[in-house]
Amino acid sequence: MSGRFLRAFGPVLLLGAALLAGCRRPAEAPGGRFVYSLQAEPTTLNFVAGSDLSSVLVERLVSDFLVDHDSSLAVVPRLAESWDFSDAGRTLTFHLREGVRFHDGVPLTSADVVFTYERIIDPKSKALGRLDGFLPVEHVAAPDPRTVVVTYREPYAPALRAWEVPILPAHRYRDADFEAAPENRAPVGAGPFRFVAWDAGRRIVLRRNDDYWGGRPSLDEFVFQFQPSLDTALMSLLSGDVDYAKLTPAAYATRREDRAFLSRYRVLTFTPLFFYYIAWRGDGSNPFFADPAVRRALGLALDRQGYVRSVLHGLGAPISSPFAQLLPAAETTMAAARFDPDEAARLLNAAGWKVERRGGLRTRGGRPFQFTLLVFAGSEDHVQFAQVAQDALARLGVEMRVERLDWPALYARLKSGAFEAALSGFNPTPDPDSLYGMLHSSQVGGQNYAAYRDPEVDRWLDAGRRTPDSPARLALYRRVEERTATTQPYACLFAPTVIGAINARFERAQTSPQGILGHVPGALSIRLAGDAGVPPTVAPGRTGEGSRGAGAGGG
Amino acid sequence: MTGFVARRVLLAGPTLLGISLVAFLVLSVLPGDPIAARIDAGAPLSADAEARLRSELRLDRPVLVRYAAWLQAAAQGDLGHSLHDGRPVAGILREAAPWTLLLNLAALGAIYGVALPLGLLQARRPRSTWARLSEGGLILASVIPSFIAALLLQGLFALRLEWLPLAGTGEAGQGLAGPAGLLPHLVLPALCLALAGWGFATRYARGAFAEALPAASLAAARARGLRGPGLLKHFGLLLALPLVWLLGGIVPSLLSGSVIVEEAFDWPGLGRLMVHAVLGRDTPLAMALLLLSAAAVLAAQLLIDLLYPALDPRLRGTGAEAAHARD
Repeated sequence: MSGRFLRAFGPVLLLGAALLAGCRRPAEAPGGRFVYSLQAEPTTLNFVAGSDLSSVLVERLVSDFLVDHDSSLAVVPRLAESWDFSDAGRTLTFHLREGVRFHDGVPLTSADVVFTYERIIDPKSKALGRLDGFLPVEHVAAPDPRTVVVTYREPYAPALRAWEVPILPAHRYRDADFEAAPENRAPVGAGPFRFVAWDAGRRIVLRRNDDYWGGRPSLDEFVFQFQPSLDTALMSLLSGDVDYAKLTPAAYATRREDRAFLSRYRVLTFTPLFFYYIAWRGDGSNPFFADPAVRRALGLALDRQGYVRSVLHGLGAPISSPFAQLLPAAETTMAAARFDPDEAARLLNAAGWKVERRGGLRTRGGRPFQFTLLVFAGSEDHVQFAQVAQDALARLGVEMRVERLDWPALYARLKSGAFEAALSGFNPTPDPDSLYGMLHSSQVGGQNYAAYRDPEVDRWLDAGRRTPDSPARLALYRRVEERTATTQPYACLFAPTVIGAINARFERAQTSPQGILGHVPGALSIRLAGDAGVPPTVAPGRTGEGSRGAGAGGG
Repeated sequence: MTGFVARRVLLAGPTLLGISLVAFLVLSVLPGDPIAARIDAGAPLSADAEARLRSELRLDRPVLVRYAAWLQAAAQGDLGHSLHDGRPVAGILREAAPWTLLLNLAALGAIYGVALPLGLLQARRPRSTWARLSEGGLILASVIPSFIAALLLQGLFALRLEWLPLAGTGEAGQGLAGPAGLLPHLVLPALCLALAGWGFATRYARGAFAEALPAASLAAARARGLRGPGLLKHFGLLLALPLVWLLGGIVPSLLSGSVIVEEAFDWPGLGRLMVHAVLGRDTPLAMALLLLSAAAVLAAQLLIDLLYPALDPRLRGTGAEAAHARD
C-alpha cells in the first residue's frame, strides 16, 4: 500500500475496522457473558449417566448437587441444607432446602432424590461413574417431601461424598426411555443456570436462573466452547472469543514474564488430585516385578523432580505415594520416592540382577532384564515420561521397551494383566477410600493392575471403609501408605499442575483442585470487574468432615 | 428387466448380511475393550461396578451370540445405543447424515465441474499445452494423501491467506439452516475430497468424450447444420452414459474419503463419527456406519444398472448384464 493510498483511505479503513470490531463483540450486557474453553465435549447431560469431567462441569451449573464441596474440598450443603448420621453411622438423613424448584417450576422434593438413587443403581442406566458409592446402600426412603433417609448395610465412611450428585427431575424422566430422553441433551435442573442450547460439536449455552434459591447469579450467560486443542483455545483467549482457557506448560513458560499478557489476563494455577503412576505387574507372570526390591529399585532410578523441572517447566508435583494428596505427607513415603540410582543399582545387585560385562544388560540366571512398558499414545505426558524413564533405566543396565497403545487397547491389556509394566493415571476422590480399587486384592481384574495382594492391606482398607471419619481412620490409611511405600506395587510419578488464564474483565474466580468451576461457589463467584452486586449465598458447611482434596482435574 | 431388478435387490440382502458378519467379527477382534468407550480414564471404579456394566451391555457373551442379538434387533430396525454416550444410534446417524450428504454432493459437483470441461479439452486437443498441464496437475493432486492435502489447504487458504475458515461449520450450522454462512466452511473440505477424484474422473471423461465424439461424427453433425443446443441434444444421451457409470466409481471413494476429510476439517458428519466409533470400540455405532456406507455403495451400483439400459436402447432386453459385459 502506498503512502498516498493510506492517506486517502486510511480513515475509512480505520472506521471500517472499528465497525468490524464493534460487530465482533456486541456491547456487554450487565453481568456479562462468560465463555469457558472446554477440551472435551460432555458425553451426555443426563445427570446420572454423565459422570465424565466435562459433563460434571456443566451439570454442576444446571443442577445443584445434593451436597458439594468448597474450594478446600470440605463437604458443604447445597440442595440438602443439613444432614445427620445415626445408628452408629449406618443411617444418613438429609434435610432438603425449602422452596427449591426445577427450571420448569416444579418443586424439587425427596421423591426426586429417591428417583435419582434408583436410576444410579439400575444397571440399565449404565451410570458407571456414580455406581460405586451407592453399592453399600441398603435402602433409601422419603418419609416426607423434605427428608431423605439412607440406610447402609454397614457403616460406610465415604457415604456423604457419594451424594455429590446432581438431582434428576423425576417428573421428566419417569415415563421416558432413560437413555433417549430429550432431557439428556437439554437438561432441566434446579441450579444457578438454565440450559439454553447444545450446539453439538461446538458449544453449550446456559443463561442465568433468576429464580435460583441461592440468589441471582452475577453472570448473565455461561458458554462452554468445545476446543479439543489447547492451541486453538489460546488463540481464542487472545482474540477475546473465550474468557477462560487452559494453557500448556510451554505456552505458560513463554508468557509468565510477558507484561502485556499479564495485564490482560490473570493466570490461575491448581494441582488436581490426579497423578501418574507405573503399575509393575507383580503376580509372577514375569520374572522381574514379583520382587518388591526390584520394584523399589526401578522407582529409585526415576528422576521425578528433574522431569517436572525440565519437561513440565516446574508445573507439577512429584508424587511419592498414591495417598500423597489425601493424607499429610509422611517421612517414609518421601524417602521411598527419592532419586537414588546408586541405591537402585545396589538393590538390583542384591536381588541377583547383575551386570556381567561393562555396558551390558543386567541378567539373572541367563535372563536379561528387558521388559515392555505400555503407555497411552494419546497423551504427551505418557510418551515423554516413558522416554525419560527409558534413558534412566538404560543407565542402570535395564532395557525398557515402550509400546504405545490407544486407550481401549491399553485398557484391555491392563484388565487382562497381559503386560509387564504400564503407565497410567488415577484421579482419586478426596476420600482415601478411593485407593481401594488400586490396592485391595479383591480388585485384581479391576483397577488393581499391579495384582497387588497383601492380606493386611486388605484388612486396613476394609476397616477404613467402615470407620467413621476420625484420627483412627486416618491411622489405618497411614498404615496402608507405609506398607505400600516399602512394597511399591506402583511407582507414583507426578501430579501435573493445570494452568488457566482468565480475561481480566472478570474477577473473583477461585481455584480449587478441581479448577475454577469444580467447587462451591465456583461459577457463582465470577463477575465482571467493577460489578458490585450481592455475593451469592454460600451456606457454611455444618459438619467437620476432613477437608482434604476433591477428585478430578476438572475445570 | 423387472426380473433383473428383483434379482439385484434380493442379492443385496445376503451381501449386506455377509458384510455385517465380517464387520462384527473384525470389530470384535480389534485389540481393545468397548467398556473403555464408556469410562473416564483414571476415575475410581470397582471390579463389581464394571462387571455389572459388562453384563448389562452383554459384553460377557461370546461374539456370535452378540452378533445374533445385534442382527435380530437390527432386523427390527433397532440399531441399539452408542456405547459412548448411550444415545440411540439411529438418532446419531440422523444428525450426522445431512452433513456428509452435503459435503459429498458438493464434492461430486466439484468433480464433475472440473472433470467434464477438462476431459472435453483433453479429448478434443490432446496435444495442447493446457491438456498436458491439466493432466499432469490432476494426477499429482490425486496422489496427495487426503490428510496432507487437508493440511496444505488449511495452511494456504485459512492460515496464510485467511480467505476461508480453518475448520468446523461456523455459526450457521444449526441444522442446515443459514446456507450462506455455511458456504465458506464447505469449500475447503469439499475441495479436499474432490482433489482425490479429479484425476480419475477427468481421464474417464476424456475417454468417454473421445469415444462418443470422434472428430468424423462431429464434423458430420456440423455438416448437417447442427449447432449449439442441437449438437448437445444429438450427443447428450451418448455422453450421459459414461458419466452415470462414473458415479459408481466415485461414490465409494467419496464415502471412504469423508472419513479422513471430516476428521481433518472437524466436519460433524458420518466420517468423523466413524473415526470416533472405531477408536472408542463403539461397536453398535461402527456397525451401523459400516452398513450404511455398504448400502450406499450397493444402491449407487443398482442405480447405475437401472439407468444404463434406460439411457441406452442397445442394452435393453438382455438386461444390464450386457452393460457389465462392456467393461
